[in-house]
Amino acid sequence: MDPKQRNVLSIALIVVLVGVAWWGFWPLDEKITQGLDIQGGLSVILTAQETSATPVTNDVMDRAELVVRNRIDKLGASEVTVQRQGADSLLVQLPGIKNSEEALDALGTTGQLEIRDVESTDATGNPVLGPILLTGDVITDATIGTDPTSGEIEVAVTFNSEGTKQWAEITRNRIGRQIAIVLDGKIESAPVVREAILDGSTAISGGFTADEAKRLQTVLETGALPVSLIFSESRGVSATLGQDSLQKGVTSALIGLGLVMIYLALYYRGFGVMAWLSMITFSSLFLGVLAILSNYGWFALSLPGIAGIVLTIGLAADSSILIMERFKEEVRMGKTFRSAARSGTKHAILTFLDADLVTFTSALMLYMVAIGPVRGFALTLMIGIVIDLVVATLFTRSVMIILAESVVPKMPTLFGVKGGGANE
Amino acid sequence: MSKVIFDFMGKRNYMFGFSAVLILVSVAALLFQGLTFGIEFQGGTVMHFVDTGDITIEDVRSAFNDEGVEGAQIQTADDGGFIVRTSEGDPDAANVAYQAVIEKLGITEENGDVTTIGPGWGKNITRSSMLALALSIAAILLYISVRFEYKMSLTAIVALVHDIVITLGVYSLMGREVTPNTIAALLTIMGYSLYDTIVVFHRIKENGARLVKQSFMSMANESVNQVLARSINTTVTSMLPPLMMMFFGGETLKDFAFALVIGLLSGAYSSIGVASPIYSMWKEREPKYKALKKKFARAS
Repeated sequence: MDPKQRNVLSIALIVVLVGVAWWGFWPLDEKITQGLDIQGGLSVILTAQETSATPVTNDVMDRAELVVRNRIDKLGASEVTVQRQGADSLLVQLPGIKNSEEALDALGTTGQLEIRDVESTDATGNPVLGPILLTGDVITDATIGTDPTSGEIEVAVTFNSEGTKQWAEITRNRIGRQIAIVLDGKIESAPVVREAILDGSTAISGGFTADEAKRLQTVLETGALPVSLIFSESRGVSATLGQDSLQKGVTSALIGLGLVMIYLALYYRGFGVMAWLSMITFSSLFLGVLAILSNYGWFALSLPGIAGIVLTIGLAADSSILIMERFKEEVRMGKTFRSAARSGTKHAILTFLDADLVTFTSALMLYMVAIGPVRGFALTLMIGIVIDLVVATLFTRSVMIILAESVVPKMPTLFGVKGGGANE
Repeated sequence: MSKVIFDFMGKRNYMFGFSAVLILVSVAALLFQGLTFGIEFQGGTVMHFVDTGDITIEDVRSAFNDEGVEGAQIQTADDGGFIVRTSEGDPDAANVAYQAVIEKLGITEENGDVTTIGPGWGKNITRSSMLALALSIAAILLYISVRFEYKMSLTAIVALVHDIVITLGVYSLMGREVTPNTIAALLTIMGYSLYDTIVVFHRIKENGARLVKQSFMSMANESVNQVLARSINTTVTSMLPPLMMMFFGGETLKDFAFALVIGLLSGAYSSIGVASPIYSMWKEREPKYKALKKKFARAS
């Protein structure tokens, strides 16, 4: 295959890819997942609190993630994501959630239930706690009911067979004695055992409101968190505000890119149009990749992400600029259009290969280490760099060479170059 | 098209002076005025109220006072509505207060946001960003040292630090709030600053390979001039979108765009005004280039 055919072929390949990309990402608002700052909803980061008794290990975080996931399922929220962030945090995203207080409540409770002996009462009449007799791990089911005598709301729990056996043993040995039901270190109630309970159930009462009882039910059914989690960050954004920001962001970005295109056309004339095509090709492939990532839940567009995308389009414009400048320079040095295009593109590509790799390296470090908005940004930057290299080598380079061999010698002024045709 | 050659390297002392002044002012501002950190770094709550109609700042203040929220800082937002900051670190309590206030003011819940950051999270973000920065710099040093040479890698880092210090200095002087987005923008600037520097160094390396009839300094000057059009055009094209975002982009993006614009300007300048002359001066101390310098002292 001669070089000319190869160039035509690589352009054709890119055109096909662009077509596939458009098919993949259009319509944009359906194919590219929007982050919660755009879509609206509640986004929470929970961080595990390490204590000497419970070190934060990978295993502990896996269990915490599972418990959090189960609790959110109970809330009836859809399209929820729970992700690990760094070594000790969980990012929970609840799109479109209305009642954020309920969600915050359910997530913020550790839910460690303990049944303990009461050894004595202190001076103020509060029970002094003895050893732990039974923990919430044995609970299989929790239901809300009312105490038939007092009319108080209570949560009835059922134990598994192991728990039933232990519970029978505990109650049989303690008839007439006080025990305490403790949730996350707080005594909910301290009843006196009247008789041995053999059916593996008990009721927890503590002057609950209906909401509190509901929360307790969720927490008891999903089990305790293996470690206590505190809120590091909670962002609730309304859908209207998010869409408004998106619109402003996209509009300003489009105005900016429009100005860039005008500038390129004024400065590079005919080649400016080549730069346009490169930018459009780049943007199409970039959005295509984002659509694929969205599809697998690996990407969600955030507001800083928009800035990241626009900056990488700028990066793509820079590759064209490097190629065009190098070409013009080699023509000025007296080379023919044909050889200036060949050696110019080669040198330009070598230059931005190095620059791209350095930027890629630093973006990779960011992606691996940083937390928060920086990470999403680093990801878009890395994807952009790879696509930029593909577009510049397969598309811009080929277009440049074909133009230099066909149209440029016929109308050099349209392309802003002089000479270069001496030996043609 | 005729090419004018600017004598950047000959004027290097002016550029060093200019940079020194900028750095001094920045460092002084950072020392004496410091940076204003957003709630992400301190813990606390920010609430946005939009579509507030003719509700006045006093109405908002009294609604918060009625709810018993103390020390709420209330300001009007650029695009109408209000931004309220409190020291509340518990999202549950913050949401309760928010619900109560919008009810009192008669605003619909559909319009606004509540962000609560727990104490200690900021340290976490700062630590991981610093670690990322340190690792990036190490990786860059290694890459440039292997691919080019260690003198280039060190001067590239000098230019990089120059850009970051100046951007932070501008933040300090203008009293702008530093948020995690600012950090993301700073790290981006890092990428651009390097990109620019590498493009110039690439040309210096290429021209340096066949250096015989001029001093290293004048060759470096020619190299800078050769890539000057590209540097200017790239700076213009990469700055236009953030510039537009700075004016029309809405709160979050404005914040981000501002740091980018400052950093891009500084990055384009530092490749020419800082990295290239320092590198050339360093190279001219090598015996081979010392001899060339003597021989062609008048050539540049």
